[in-house]
Amino acid sequence: MAALVVTLFFVSVLVFVVIRVLPGDAALIILGTEGSPEAAALLRRAMGLDRPFAVQYLEWIARAVAGDLGRSIQYDVPVASLILSRMSVTLPLTLLAAGLMVATAIPLGVFAATRHRRWGDYLAMILSQLGVAVPGFWAGLLLVLLFSVRLGWVQAGGFDGWGQGVWPALRSLLLPAAALGFFQFAVLARTTRSAVLEVLREEFVKTARAKGLAEGAVLFRHALRNAMIPVITVAGIQLGQLMAGSIVLETVFYLPGLGRLAIGAISARDLPVVQGVVLFVASMIVLINVAVDVLYGFLDPRIRYE
Amino acid sequence: MTKPRAIGLVGALLALALAGGGVPAVSAQGANLVVQVPAEPPGLDLTVSPATAIGAVVHYNVQECLVKVDEHGKLVPWLAERWYTTDSKNYTFFLKKGVRFHNGREMKAADVKFVLERAMNPETKHPHRVSYERIASIIVKDDYTISLALKEPSANFLLDIARQGSVIYPREAVDTLKTAPLGTGPFVVSDWVRGDRIVLTRNKDYHVKGLPHLDRVTFRFIPDANSTLAALKSGDIDVSAFGLGPESVDELKKDRRFQVIVGDTTNDVILSMNNSKKPYSDKRVRLAITHAIDKEEVLKGAMFGLGKILGSNVDPLNPYFVDMSKAVPYDPAKAKKLLAEAGYPNGFDAVLRVAPQYYYTVRTGEVLVSQLAKAGVRVKIEQIEWGQWLSQVYKEANYDMSIIGHGEPWDISNYANPNYYYRWDNPEFRRLFKESEVTVDDKKRRGLYAKLQKMLADEAPAVWLYMHPRLVATKKGITGIWKDLPISSLDLSEVAWQK
Repeated sequence: MAALVVTLFFVSVLVFVVIRVLPGDAALIILGTEGSPEAAALLRRAMGLDRPFAVQYLEWIARAVAGDLGRSIQYDVPVASLILSRMSVTLPLTLLAAGLMVATAIPLGVFAATRHRRWGDYLAMILSQLGVAVPGFWAGLLLVLLFSVRLGWVQAGGFDGWGQGVWPALRSLLLPAAALGFFQFAVLARTTRSAVLEVLREEFVKTARAKGLAEGAVLFRHALRNAMIPVITVAGIQLGQLMAGSIVLETVFYLPGLGRLAIGAISARDLPVVQGVVLFVASMIVLINVAVDVLYGFLDPRIRYE
Repeated sequence: MTKPRAIGLVGALLALALAGGGVPAVSAQGANLVVQVPAEPPGLDLTVSPATAIGAVVHYNVQECLVKVDEHGKLVPWLAERWYTTDSKNYTFFLKKGVRFHNGREMKAADVKFVLERAMNPETKHPHRVSYERIASIIVKDDYTISLALKEPSANFLLDIARQGSVIYPREAVDTLKTAPLGTGPFVVSDWVRGDRIVLTRNKDYHVKGLPHLDRVTFRFIPDANSTLAALKSGDIDVSAFGLGPESVDELKKDRRFQVIVGDTTNDVILSMNNSKKPYSDKRVRLAITHAIDKEEVLKGAMFGLGKILGSNVDPLNPYFVDMSKAVPYDPAKAKKLLAEAGYPNGFDAVLRVAPQYYYTVRTGEVLVSQLAKAGVRVKIEQIEWGQWLSQVYKEANYDMSIIGHGEPWDISNYANPNYYYRWDNPEFRRLFKESEVTVDDKKRRGLYAKLQKMLADEAPAVWLYMHPRLVATKKGITGIWKDLPISSLDLSEVAWQK
């Protein structure tokens, strides 16, 4: 818990400093090439950007701890409500991508491990190599060309909201989730394969086979469970990466998610939003790591936390 | 379950999920129109930001001005049914009667007074406050008549009154301008899903009878050109207003489902130079750079030949436009000679700072690098983010050369400002420009503008490369979209689906 607080404190300082050290002035960006220097100076003062860094930071962090992340400069609405509304896209997108990733990568990794150095293994690894090689945005565009432009099965992008029903909402997230999960799927499939391969060489697997257990039982009850620790570790890291990857795919599929909120806020120097989003995402990643640590305990009873 | 079967099942589920519903969820037919715009507006308040993304949605569609710039660039009566001036100093506007705001209240002269006074007030931070500060007094004569006296004659004052920052809104709704602006326009803001879309619905009480034709307009924010093309082809959007690159034009023209509009704009793409810095402070060097550039090749290489070549800083949509494109022609031998005369027989090194947010800047820069190299000017391209460009190049003039499109109409005034990022200080030009501002007679003014344009071409404080074309793609059957863009708004009041 203490580690969590310290991590978040450093994140908050870092984001606050970095965004202010960056060249580029919020007032100038709002006014663009038509604004006068005088108008920019007035605007800067109105936004409180002319005060010392430390004062600005303390004020911000004190409010943030109380749950108030400030107001967006460009939208004039509370940052917290912006983040929450964008999470209704990014969270299901990330979870769907993670679901697709786990549901395909783990079976494929296990399959490849059991066909070690045979055709099935090679095919599976070529497929995952493809996943590593093809960038997400490119995969996304190819999926759009096939499923939206050619076949007309799903829309090319956008998100009509959960108000339209769960199925239409999920459907508009399927292509981006597939594109997003594709790269991470490849990494996870390879991790699963090597982890399972390693466990299959262990003595206890030989023992299980020797005592006449069916191959399926050996694989799932003994090998897979023991191979899960590295797999879960990698999957946990990947969940964070999926959130980061959503920034690119939300742009390709023009989804109103957290990633696009962040990108727009950075280029508009909407400082309260950038700070709020980064702090929020950092908290999420810290929480995912905690969850992964807890999962270890379930998988391996020898691991206990004091 | 064996493993291959597990994989097969997941695949089948995925295929089933994708096959699910059939047609895309967003319907785009009938009296509804889905329009792509590349950027989400940073708020909807035209009185605090000059962003073109706000103008595209709000100006003419939701809020209107006393005077309107029509699709040919002409100033026409709008919320003011006529006006009167003899000296470009004292203006009287006669308001159209029976014009109602979206809240049902009639627009009166007091609203106009409120709007103008608020724009003049430093506390409201209007981006064009300087334009309104010229006003010395505002007198409301009756509910439909208002007189303005300026401090000195200003020939461009009517244009200022027609700009997006001069929209008329009801004073009681001043606090919601940023999120739900009220006005007199043909559409009402009905929904804004942050990050995704803004929905406008028809204003049933619109003061122009029979308009608008559409019941509902949805603006979708799609920043990426490839995604825009895919959205158009899959039927998700009906109109791409500003999102297509010139590379898509041929392909879309061949496709029977679409029509492509290629028109003129006020967007002059300029190779700017830092006139306060050596060697650009030397006119011979600036002319040498201009002679070294083959603008035809630039237009072909960067814009697929779309757009128009410029030779000075007045765009073809301006009534005072003089074609100066041949004034300083492509002549590499002369370029080398001029450079030698200026003391640079072996050329020099330069950094070209561009912001890739505007795709044409990088493409144009790449063509220029190879052309200028032939004259001995060794240019290195440095790509910087837009926010940095605004700080370093635009604000601090910390640059050698840059490329950007200047979209503001009548922006020749920038050369009369020695602090503008060109840092060009020419008293004679300033004097001429000032004279043009106070000259009321149109013929005389036209003569002055011809002189200004020639002077710019001769002095070469920048290289005017080309006018960025207007590129719009729509589904077949949509009518009423402006061909040219004399003002960066997207007037949808007369847009309709052909029956």
